[in-house]
Amino acid sequence: MVIETVHLSKQYGNLQALSDLNLSIDEGKVFGFIGPNGAGKSTTMLILSTLLEQTDGDAYVCGYNVRKDPVSVRQSLGYMPDFFGVYDNLTAVEYLEFYAGAFKIPAPKRRALVADLLELVNLSHKADAFVDSLSRGMQQRLGLARCLVHDPAVLILDEPASGLDPRARIELREIIKQLREMGKTILISSHILPELAELCDDIGVIEQGRLIACGSVHEVSNRDREMSIMQLRALHNQNTAALILSNHSSVSNLEEYMGGLRFYFTGSEQQKADLLQELIKAQVVVVYFGDSKANLEDVFLSITEGVGG
Amino acid sequence: MNSFFFNPILVKEMRERFRSKKTVCILAIYLLIMGGIPIGFLLMDPMKAAALGENRNLFLLSAGIHYAMVCFVAPALTAGAISGERERQTLQILLTTQLSTRTIILSKLITSLAFSCLLLVATMPLYSIVMLYGSVSPEQMAKLILFLAINVLFLGSLGLFCSTWIKRTSVSTITSYGIAFFFVVGTGLLFFFIGESLQQAYPELFPDDGVWKLSQLQMLAGINPVFVLFGILGESIAHSDQITFSPWLFFSCFYLSLTVIFVFWSAYLLKPIRRTWWSWKKRPVRVK
Ligand SMILES: Nc1ncnc2c1ncn2[C@@H]1O[C@H](COP(=O)(O)OP(=O)(O)O)[C@@H](O)[C@H]1O
Ligand SMILES: [Mg+2]
Repeated sequence: MVIETVHLSKQYGNLQALSDLNLSIDEGKVFGFIGPNGAGKSTTMLILSTLLEQTDGDAYVCGYNVRKDPVSVRQSLGYMPDFFGVYDNLTAVEYLEFYAGAFKIPAPKRRALVADLLELVNLSHKADAFVDSLSRGMQQRLGLARCLVHDPAVLILDEPASGLDPRARIELREIIKQLREMGKTILISSHILPELAELCDDIGVIEQGRLIACGSVHEVSNRDREMSIMQLRALHNQNTAALILSNHSSVSNLEEYMGGLRFYFTGSEQQKADLLQELIKAQVVVVYFGDSKANLEDVFLSITEGVGG
Repeated sequence: MNSFFFNPILVKEMRERFRSKKTVCILAIYLLIMGGIPIGFLLMDPMKAAALGENRNLFLLSAGIHYAMVCFVAPALTAGAISGERERQTLQILLTTQLSTRTIILSKLITSLAFSCLLLVATMPLYSIVMLYGSVSPEQMAKLILFLAINVLFLGSLGLFCSTWIKRTSVSTITSYGIAFFFVVGTGLLFFFIGESLQQAYPELFPDDGVWKLSQLQMLAGINPVFVLFGILGESIAHSDQITFSPWLFFSCFYLSLTVIFVFWSAYLLKPIRRTWWSWKKRPVRVK
């Protein structure tokens, strides 16, 4: 276990921000931490990064206790807060060299290291630009490079994609994928699920300080649910498809949606496959048949609804 | 030691500070005030070559203005050191690095001292005019510089402490000015009030103004920078000539110890997870 929390709890005054959280994340895994605002994601991450003391329970990073051995924890972990600033009057290279120095990396090694990191986050062309002149997306990538200065085994990224435009998000995601390939263990939080779905090996859903679902993306989204929302688009014979669907016993709530069809399907994966076969046999030219994109958010809503209220 | 003086925060702070236009402005305004006032006096009251070496007032004036400027600038230089990082949202990241809070605090103090030293060195040529006109002994000059240095150190660490303790830079600046005001003016007023009221309440205990010889009262006078400054300059103000010990030595020790306390206290306050003394002994345990 690279990250482990045992009965972790945190109280702010009377507010129970985190209660009895048990997480364990294996080496090299990307763990998505999902929950609405105020659920306790940032609190957990602050505790793991040795910036906040828990009220109860224990947390370990790479086997080191965060409360008792913060120095070793800091050496093995890179933390990117949800909001962070950069220094004025420093260039990107100087900014990274500062943190390299703060991690006691010998001066002769810093130059090459910084060049590599800038290369990794595609900022080589901005090496000599002042950091406060960079765009938000670039600052975010620079922040990610900053986390990697001391080559930590674990990365904790708090909502790294919030406030970024779609293009910057995609760039960030590509970098995180690269980091996963480098074998880093990554804990990444978001309040938007689709953002994480593709990136994560496992996800944990947290609500009001409690972990309410945990497992692979597939497990969590199919948990206790045989009904899913599906989407279909056909180049020709879409009317035939509509006819078949409306007569199908497992389909309900059929409607037109974005030039295609959307419907609720109740049944197993096998039944879905059978339905597709049936459509194709009826000469429907299917170009898309699958779960609706909005599905993950619906899943998320259905999981979190009614918790605490 | 070498590694401390090349520590990344020092380098970063120097870069940040000396690249900003604000620094040039501060230096220019400082020199304008420090040079303008004595030169203005000289112009108003031109001195003849014969009077060279006999005008003490110019020295007193320069020393007074210099002290006032130190009181004004020193807390301001550090009052935003930590709270500024907090406001810019860079503090948390800094705390997850391998820099200890003590290194952070000391580096911040040293950079502000470096800047104060720059201000001091930049005003040295002005003092040469003063030395030319005023009758000042090198010993007095040395004591004055020591006095100013201790004030810079103390006020700097006070500003640093307030900026660690208080979340916002604006409030921390006002608080450090307030506390500095207490030490500069408050202790002097306390000295007079307590002395006068004791004298009036128990005239039979303290015949012919004997109250001013009380050692507690003299210590109070000894921690008041204005009394000490006058002592160094060789002037006397009410009751200060009766002090039986060397006030500037007492003053230096008192404020240096306060500085050390402030530095350690700030380093403790800055720690995200504060250990109590009994948990210090436990060794870190590695599980797995
Ligand atoms: N410093 C604090 N003082 C008091 N309450 C806090 C503090 N920080 C967070 N909280 C509360 O703790 C809860 C969890 O916050 P947080 O972990 O930031 O949520 P998330 O990151 O999931 O949006 C929220 O209800 C928030 O209001
Ligand atoms: Mg948050």
